Amino acid sequence: MNALRAKALVEAGLLLRLSGDMAGAEKLFARALELDPGNARARRLLGRDGTLEPSASGGGDTGWNLASPDQEVDWGAYAGPSTPGPVEAPVRESVSLPEGTGMRGDALDLIAEAHRTQEFGLPDTFTPAGGLPEGSEVESLLRGAEDLLSLDDHSGAVELLRRAQSLAPENPRVEALRDRSERILVSMLEARLGDLNRKPRVRLQPDDIIWLNLDHRAGFVLAQIDGEVSFDDLFALSGMSRLDTARILAQLLDEGIIAPGE
Amino acid sequence: MAAESEPLIGIDLGTTNSLVATVQDGQPIIIKNRTGQPLTPSVVAVSKNGKRLVGGIAKRQAITNPQETVSAAKRLIGRKFSSHPVQDALRALTYQVVCGQHDDVRVRLAGRDLAVPEVSAMILAELKADAEAHFGRPVTQAVITVPAYFNDGQRQATKDAGRIAGLEVLRIINEPTAAALAYGFGRTVNGKIAVLDLGGGTFDVSVLEINNGIFDVVATGGDTFLGGEDWDHRIIEWMVFGFAKEHGIDLRKDRMALQRLKDAAEKAKVELSSVKETQLHLPFICTPPGGGAALHLQSTLTREKLEELTADLGERLVGITSEVLGEAKVRPSDLKEVILVGGMSRMPRIVEQVRQYFRREPCKGVHAEEVVALGAAIQAHALVGQESELLLLDVTPQSMGVAIAGGYVRRLIPRNTTVPTSATEVFATSKDFQRTVKIMVLQGEHELAHHNELLGEFLLTGLREAPRGQVEIEVTFDINAEGIVSVSARDRDTGLRQSIIVTASSGLTEDELRRIMDEQRDWLVAARNTEELKSKRVELDILARDLVDALSRVRLMPGAGGLSPDVVARAEAALDQARQARGVEDVGALTRACEALAQSLPVLRSAGPRGTPGR
Repeated sequence: MNALRAKALVEAGLLLRLSGDMAGAEKLFARALELDPGNARARRLLGRDGTLEPSASGGGDTGWNLASPDQEVDWGAYAGPSTPGPVEAPVRESVSLPEGTGMRGDALDLIAEAHRTQEFGLPDTFTPAGGLPEGSEVESLLRGAEDLLSLDDHSGAVELLRRAQSLAPENPRVEALRDRSERILVSMLEARLGDLNRKPRVRLQPDDIIWLNLDHRAGFVLAQIDGEVSFDDLFALSGMSRLDTARILAQLLDEGIIAPGE
Repeated sequence: MAAESEPLIGIDLGTTNSLVATVQDGQPIIIKNRTGQPLTPSVVAVSKNGKRLVGGIAKRQAITNPQETVSAAKRLIGRKFSSHPVQDALRALTYQVVCGQHDDVRVRLAGRDLAVPEVSAMILAELKADAEAHFGRPVTQAVITVPAYFNDGQRQATKDAGRIAGLEVLRIINEPTAAALAYGFGRTVNGKIAVLDLGGGTFDVSVLEINNGIFDVVATGGDTFLGGEDWDHRIIEWMVFGFAKEHGIDLRKDRMALQRLKDAAEKAKVELSSVKETQLHLPFICTPPGGGAALHLQSTLTREKLEELTADLGERLVGITSEVLGEAKVRPSDLKEVILVGGMSRMPRIVEQVRQYFRREPCKGVHAEEVVALGAAIQAHALVGQESELLLLDVTPQSMGVAIAGGYVRRLIPRNTTVPTSATEVFATSKDFQRTVKIMVLQGEHELAHHNELLGEFLLTGLREAPRGQVEIEVTFDINAEGIVSVSARDRDTGLRQSIIVTASSGLTEDELRRIMDEQRDWLVAARNTEELKSKRVELDILARDLVDALSRVRLMPGAGGLSPDVVARAEAALDQARQARGVEDVGALTRACEALAQSLPVLRSAGPRGTPGR
């Protein structure tokens, strides 16, 4: 059973890698190897003798799957920070609560907690995809997504779920999982932006901007930022989904291209 | 006097942009909107996340969200769905328009069918809110301007929009009259003047006759589809063509690119009124179809090039002006003054063309787009301040009469007649042994009945049988101070009488209007509540983060910094309360949670490092 699941995870990981999410893919390969240490494919994909390749970012895991500023990320496939193997005791960049405070994490956890438990009703555990034939691509993707969610990699999970939904558009399980993951991801990215009433401004000169590595969608969002419109307004006028807009804004902020303003 | 303390505003409710003004310390001034701009685009939208957007923000997403963005509602207000102007306008609209129950126009926005006054009311409400932000207190009274050619229905619809927005509309005045007032011509000029108003989407030419402070509209005309946007489109075409030549890509196919082109074109056009050349710089405008690095659009546009691109538009302006003056039998040399209104009249080439045609220097204020709103504010001030010398009288905007044999119109009340007024005329039967006459009440200036607007009709029956011309019918028009028209017909032989009361209709019944006003009130309450929720959540997040920070420091201190265990427990309970409050839509719960966090925070921060509470 574990071998089968590991195989599905490797497939899902490959899809993520294709879409540019190297960190998410790596997590899935590591999870596959954990489940089935004899899985040669996972071992090969991860590197020599099952030794995990060092993190691209070199940064600690924030537990929030947000790209660190020095990370090279494709705009189309926003990736979480890559971490060496499965995370058991994450080292948080933000202020952590010591044991015994009764709190699970930090203030950002508090925000996400509200979304998870009250607004979105995320279940404690994920059940295997019901109603889907064993070994199908959608099933592989769902399993991969579930594993990434259990590792708190919502960005990677959303990528897989989008692909799953394109293959099985009517599947309610896929839809529910994708909707929930996107919402959580949006709330995490919004927390990264801070107060959405703030009006961001561009920090770079026009001559410097053209040397950035942006796509036309990020270019569009950047063109709207003039110190007069708030983050909240930008969501309204981007013409894109809230998730895509939040991703771009978080990235622009991380890259130091924009400042959050007042 | 109570009236003195009440803020008064004048509103130029334009097709493309709107402005609000007031008189402060005796000087008319424009009230800038809350983003610091004098102009508020007359655009309303519902974004993809269901948020209502009005003004600049709605305009900026107009191309990427065309189905849910309503612009140029003024072209539709107070008109019948089946009318030619509406059918013409439909071809250019990106949003859906449907026919209402009374042949009125309804705009489909976010799945709801809105009456046009409702849409205009959203813009007026935005301007009202800007004025309230300026004064720091509620604003309820306004004068609103409309084009001189607006009929009673369109004026009534504009009034209804004001009511929906929570404004008492003191008076509806003509835009060219307002412009003339802003230049003080009510006092200084006696004679004919021309007002050329080139706005964002329309070009209106009006000839006014001013006689001892009385403004008479002698002629109106123009082109309802010629405006600044046409100049923008020429710049867009030029940019698109240049980019296609260089990269083989048509930018018009990409909505995001098109929105950026539109914004850049408008900006370049404005800049070229004051400088000779401008840079067009649009980085990452599109990604090539096969992938790869995004491309940039970089170009330089000169004033000379813009004039070359738009030469025919300028010629059209002169042609239309000449036509209107010709119809009114007014020669350019008859005019005492020529006023240029609208942002486009800043363009040097246009000023030059007007100067050449009229052979005189046109009056153009520093801010030509502001004069109409300033004039409206002056009139609002005069109305309440009882400055009779500036008081415009309420007049009938168009002539009224009845249809007569042959399909013609007999005018009983000419346009610009001061109300209240009354007029009576005697008509005779047109056929032998005619037993019935049909009285068709018409409004308009055309000689042929069917080119005028039908306000109402009724039958007078039981006439004496006699050869034609022998039965006399007396028709009386009465217009009271509120503009309500009653028309009666009386058989002079028998004394039989029939009448009709005509009230200008915007297409909305009083019940509908009340319902819309109630909905608007509910929406305002809900919007305020949402804003409050949002700001409370931000406050809560900040406090929660600070408390978590303080709590973790206390935990690391030996002996918990000298704090008693119940202090820590209370802080944890406050965080718990905050977590619960954040998930519900309750301002009260959020406020209480913020208070609990705020109470715990200073206590935790007072913890000292050596086991004793610090200072």
